[in-house]
Amino acid sequence: MPKRFDCLLAVLTTLLVAASAVFAHHSVAGQFDTSKSLTLKGSIAKLQWMNPHIYVYLDVKEADGTVATWVLETLPTAMMRKAGLSRESVMGMPGELVTVLVVPAKDGTKHLGWISKITYADGHYYALGGAGPVQ
Amino acid sequence: MKNRFLHCIVVTVAVFFAAYAMASDVNAQAPPKPAPHLADGRPDLNGTWDHGGGISFVRPQTLPDGSVCVLGCPPAATAAPQRGGNNPPPGAREGRGGAAAATAAPAAPNFPKYKPEFLAKVKDLSDRQVQTDTVLQCQPPGVPRIGPPQKILQNAREVAFLYDDVNGSFFRIIPTDGRSHRKGLPPSYLGDAIGHWEGDTLVIETVNFNEETWLIDNGAFHTKDLKVVERLRRVGDTIEYQATAHDPAVLVEPWAMRPQALRLTDHELEESAHCEDRDLEHIIDGSHHDNPR
Repeated sequence: MPKRFDCLLAVLTTLLVAASAVFAHHSVAGQFDTSKSLTLKGSIAKLQWMNPHIYVYLDVKEADGTVATWVLETLPTAMMRKAGLSRESVMGMPGELVTVLVVPAKDGTKHLGWISKITYADGHYYALGGAGPVQ
Repeated sequence: MKNRFLHCIVVTVAVFFAAYAMASDVNAQAPPKPAPHLADGRPDLNGTWDHGGGISFVRPQTLPDGSVCVLGCPPAATAAPQRGGNNPPPGAREGRGGAAAATAAPAAPNFPKYKPEFLAKVKDLSDRQVQTDTVLQCQPPGVPRIGPPQKILQNAREVAFLYDDVNGSFFRIIPTDGRSHRKGLPPSYLGDAIGHWEGDTLVIETVNFNEETWLIDNGAFHTKDLKVVERLRRVGDTIEYQATAHDPAVLVEPWAMRPQALRLTDHELEESAHCEDRDLEHIIDGSHHDNPR
């Protein structure tokens, strides 16, 4: 990993962890491995607008052609509201292919992660913290 | 390599403090204009009041194409002030966020001072916070942990506090017409409150709490005899809020949360979304963080 990225990751992680210290129920870093990230492409099948975290269910086509549903957590509703984001804006268009930068679960649970960034088909995105540079 | 590492540390710390300075509103300058008063002569506390709900550090950036950066933005956009904060008890394990907040927050330590015979209990509760903190299980946070109200409704007889909390929508009704505490009520999360005016300051005394809640993070338990005194004073479009917990059975001295400044806002309150925690089983190292609210 390039050293510059290392440093940026440290800065972002520090801010995220500290930010979550003020609001979230528990440490994001306690559940998710913020040193890792992966990119998923799929469509949003369902969204649960709830606290302490919103859940996004992402259908991802596997290499063997089967579809795996990832359970992806993101920010609490109040943060989304403050950012002007709604259920509809996060859901996107029906069946829309989205690209999601995900921080995987620390305990190894499959198909569980934290959304760092979600990018929609037209290129607009929502950066929600977690890992990696956002721009 | 060493220089690069040091540079990274310096940048990280500098960014944090710069962001903190931008976001911190505890010491915000009060507007100079006088506070409005109601027909009964009391200061008008009516309104929706923004103290961030714990999210004052969120400063979203919106781009022309509709993209939004909420967290993880370029450094100047996010910050993490320690609101009403606390430090872990001696020897308590620090979660990652707790460690970061304790390191970065410029304010002095502000954890309740427990009598020596209760320090072990505090440490044990703190060490096992993922299991012992009912707030993590979506239960009401209690007073003073819930923090200032997001909305205040006031008339000559009583004041209502409304909360849009991550754990749910809560309310408190506070008589201000001389009524006494109600008798025979079962202990509750938010207790039984009465208020009175001392000049332009609304003083609220709340008692009759259950023992399910903590004063603050990190195992700061209390007894059923807890009494919380809150003071609210409007200055222009700001309310100065202060809460102090009295529990002499376990505390060496009353514990005062750090003062907070509430700002009048036109953002209307919304019903809090359903709270259901599905995460605790996945937290394998017990790490937690300060959750001062």
